[in-house]
Amino acid sequence: MNYCIEVAGLAYQFSDNTPVLKDIQLRVPQGAIYGFLGPNGAGKTTTLRLITGLLRMQKGTVQILGRSFREHRLEILRQTGSLIESPAIYEHLSAAENLLVLQRIYQCPKSNIMEVLQTVGLAAVSNKKAGQFSLGMKQRLALAMAMLHHPKLLILDEPTNGLDPNGIIEMRDLLKKINREQGISILISSHLLPEIERLATHLGIISKGRMVFEGSLEQLSGLRQQVRGYLLDTTDNAAALELLAAQEIPVVTDTGRIQVPALPVAAIAELNSQLVQQGIGVYGIQPVKNDLETIFMDLIQA
Amino acid sequence: MLAYIFSVQSEWLKRKNSAAVWLTILGGTFVPLIILGVRFYHFDQLAAQNASADLWERLYRHGWQYMGFLLLPMGGILVTSLITQLETRSNAWKLLHVTPQRFTTIFLAKLTVILVLLLFFFLLFNINIYLTGVVPAWVVHDVPYPVAPFPWIKYLSGSGQFLLACLPIVALQYLLGLLYRNFMLPLGIGLGLYIASVMALSWKYAYTIPYIYCMMLANNGVIPSGTYIMPAGYFMVFAVLAYILYIRKKEKG
Repeated sequence: MNYCIEVAGLAYQFSDNTPVLKDIQLRVPQGAIYGFLGPNGAGKTTTLRLITGLLRMQKGTVQILGRSFREHRLEILRQTGSLIESPAIYEHLSAAENLLVLQRIYQCPKSNIMEVLQTVGLAAVSNKKAGQFSLGMKQRLALAMAMLHHPKLLILDEPTNGLDPNGIIEMRDLLKKINREQGISILISSHLLPEIERLATHLGIISKGRMVFEGSLEQLSGLRQQVRGYLLDTTDNAAALELLAAQEIPVVTDTGRIQVPALPVAAIAELNSQLVQQGIGVYGIQPVKNDLETIFMDLIQA
Repeated sequence: MLAYIFSVQSEWLKRKNSAAVWLTILGGTFVPLIILGVRFYHFDQLAAQNASADLWERLYRHGWQYMGFLLLPMGGILVTSLITQLETRSNAWKLLHVTPQRFTTIFLAKLTVILVLLLFFFLLFNINIYLTGVVPAWVVHDVPYPVAPFPWIKYLSGSGQFLLACLPIVALQYLLGLLYRNFMLPLGIGLGLYIASVMALSWKYAYTIPYIYCMMLANNGVIPSGTYIMPAGYFMVFAVLAYILYIRKKEKG
């Protein structure tokens, strides 16, 4: 598989030696929408700032589009578009002028300006000062600025931050469209699991400066199919709990039902027989499967 | 070289509609307008002044006296800070530093825009001083066109000296603007240094203070002989220091 971003052994610490990132390994497949997920303060932005060269690297390697970032910074940046944290926009300039500032540097055709403004739905307000834009419009303009030179790769740090639900849906649809129609690979960070679940094809989860999961959404869904326990419905929960305690089986009863761990199927069948033999009626045995949120919480709390 | 030209074009676009441009225009127009107003106030002397041989000399002296002592150093502080802080106020250092440009190119392009604005200010000021001499002749029938030829060489050389005198201010303000991601701090330090310079003007070693040369020129007409090297030296030292600090900055946005 070809990867447009390959990060290996990335570590970073502040000047007071507080470690922020520890041995980050990250691989973004070509053509993927890679969701970089983690709670606030996990190290997402620091990772992205290191990848884009906004922070000086201390340890590790970053390869983008098959080249070392350290050695080929300019060539890589020519093919990459970035939106790091809040949108960086010159508010005293119009939307079109903001893009013109970048067009001069990239020396791409001027026609790209209207093209990207149309893509993000800002063509009608191209001459309006960016300072008068709503946050959603600013985010879209920042995305247009990142896409102006037709990059092969987009690096977006929480681009939906501060957007209302409608804005989030619009941004998500826009990113899917860009990825599908223009074949642009996208690395997008977020702390919102549902957002990434609906958008990404691949996923990396970071917690406390460490990568705790990396794989496709299917692999994560595979974890979802795993049974994390069984719920028992009995006619006499108190007697059932006594029997389970005697067998030293840990239980959870906070839902009013008895939850036992994910024992082998044979052990569950045996447990059922024992309960019935003790005169306790069992009218339900229900497997409990993982939901994504639980998996995510388990991963970041591990 | 091409990358530098494209970078300057990009930086030049950013100053559009910015306060720095309006300050430059205002700075180059304000003093000549006041002088013109004063000339019209003493309406009865207009004809005699335009007929005198030292009209341009007096306009030069009055113009640069106010300009050099107050407006030029203040303008240098404000315009340099405003241009440098454009990225900070727009939260755009991170945008600029992920564009495919060498940091050296960015550094030079920003400095170029500041120096071009400064040159534009000098040009505007000289044109406006010229207009204070000729406008009365255009609008008042009895006032003759200035009889003395316009002393281009004197104006050019004077502007050159003031330009040299304000370069240390530009370089140090540029350094501070790049160093601090905060608009008020560089501005405060600049104003503090200006006030300190005013207070130290009569000091024996005043020529060692980097912000003082415009005031010296405005006050005495000259920078003490042999010390022209000082503003040029300060400019070089501050500019190189600014470059080193900028390049070595760990966080680029």
